[in-house]
Amino acid sequence: MIPGDRFDRVLVVLLLAVLLSLGGLLATQARSGAGAVTIDRNLERDLAARARLAFFEQTYAPVLSLQAAGNDQQALMKLEELGRRYPGEAHGDILRAASLLRLGALPEAVAAAVRAVRRNGDYVDRDSPFSQRPVIEQLVDEGLSSLAEKARLAPGNATLGEALKNVYYLQSRLAGGCE
Amino acid sequence: MMSISLLKKLVCAGLLLGLVLIPAACKPQRERPKMKIGFMNCNSAPETLQRFRPLTRYLSERLDIDFEAVPVDTQDFEERFAAGEFAFTHGNSLLYIILKENHNLQLIATEKRGQFGARTAGAIIARSDSGMKSLQDIKGKRMVFGPQLAPTGYLAQYNLMLDAGLDPERDLAYYAIPSGSYKHEKVIYAIYFGAYDVAAAPALDLEVMIEAGKIDADDITILGQSPIIPYCTFGAAEKVDPQLVERFRKALVELTPETTVDIDGEQVKVLKAAWIDGFEQLTDTDYDLIRSWARRANMPPYQKF
Repeated sequence: MIPGDRFDRVLVVLLLAVLLSLGGLLATQARSGAGAVTIDRNLERDLAARARLAFFEQTYAPVLSLQAAGNDQQALMKLEELGRRYPGEAHGDILRAASLLRLGALPEAVAAAVRAVRRNGDYVDRDSPFSQRPVIEQLVDEGLSSLAEKARLAPGNATLGEALKNVYYLQSRLAGGCE
Repeated sequence: MMSISLLKKLVCAGLLLGLVLIPAACKPQRERPKMKIGFMNCNSAPETLQRFRPLTRYLSERLDIDFEAVPVDTQDFEERFAAGEFAFTHGNSLLYIILKENHNLQLIATEKRGQFGARTAGAIIARSDSGMKSLQDIKGKRMVFGPQLAPTGYLAQYNLMLDAGLDPERDLAYYAIPSGSYKHEKVIYAIYFGAYDVAAAPALDLEVMIEAGKIDADDITILGQSPIIPYCTFGAAEKVDPQLVERFRKALVELTPETTVDIDGEQVKVLKAAWIDGFEQLTDTDYDLIRSWARRANMPPYQKF
């Protein structure tokens, strides 16, 4: 119903103008709010990544120094102890893979690396501070040369088959394959 | 109302039907063949049975054979096997070699447990505050070994010492082997509490005790560790049909952590009950390193008197 009275018409126009202004104000606030949230999220993510890195460096420092000194069995024992507090932690598994490899337990080393990479793809990311590409590349190289030959000679051996599948999985993750 | 004649006919028919059906229902169950598996005692017969009854039940169900688990002391194992008391064996890798060399045991599968899977190692350890850093530091010290027939409780460490130019019979103050059960844990606690300076500890027992919180990794220094060798092993007597051996192997290798059997009304996880992670098929040549150690240490099956 169109207001007949001029005063009423003015009131309607003013009302519409206020409504439009409010709508515009709300839209503007939402946009600037969304931007603030994005900045906050990026900050949180970066803070979390740095905190995580610092935490791992501190927590697993004894393991790294044992490994550097060539005490791989001692390093595995330390990882076992840390595993009581942080069961299933990917970082423990990737460090375990390195020691198991040096102690000659190749299938178990590969399995540990697979567990780690499934939980945290940063280990295969060249640009990540968590990158463990050299160890994983060595596992793939040795796996392809020794496990593949053993599996070829014993085609029915389920354990070797499983170990080789794990090697192929690591190989595909290094090449940039998705999960 | 039914006539008596009809009633009599119905009763007769019912009895005749019963005479036919009851014998059919009472058909005797087919007798399954019976065979025995000798399980080497790690600590005691009750523990052995508790661990391996579910596995034995699983094998019975898979292979349609009534298997009986027989716990056997390590020292008696070869004699009882030679006497034909059991056709299948489960024991450590040195026992496998003894039975293979002396009685042509067939290799079935190797048990997986711990971080090295189907393999394990032996270590020489000391308390971390002992001041000892290498094997050369154990000269003149008091050492405690595990059971003499334990590949990673005695043989691996004996060879580690020989490799380091040490004579276990001359270069130690003395060495001992604890009596009774749980020898592997006892040797670790022996150095932990200072009763001995150095111990021959299986890497697996170190792993298990640390996982359980019984010791911490920082409590122990590893002075030396052997290469990894096969762990506990299933075997079959020479006379066992190779096809049955293959089926037995397949049944073991196909076990998963979720496989269960009914034991005394309870669903029991087979691998968990046995303290096992799985089984792997190895070859006889995988055991050659243990053979070389046994020869060097003048141990069975190569001992010369």
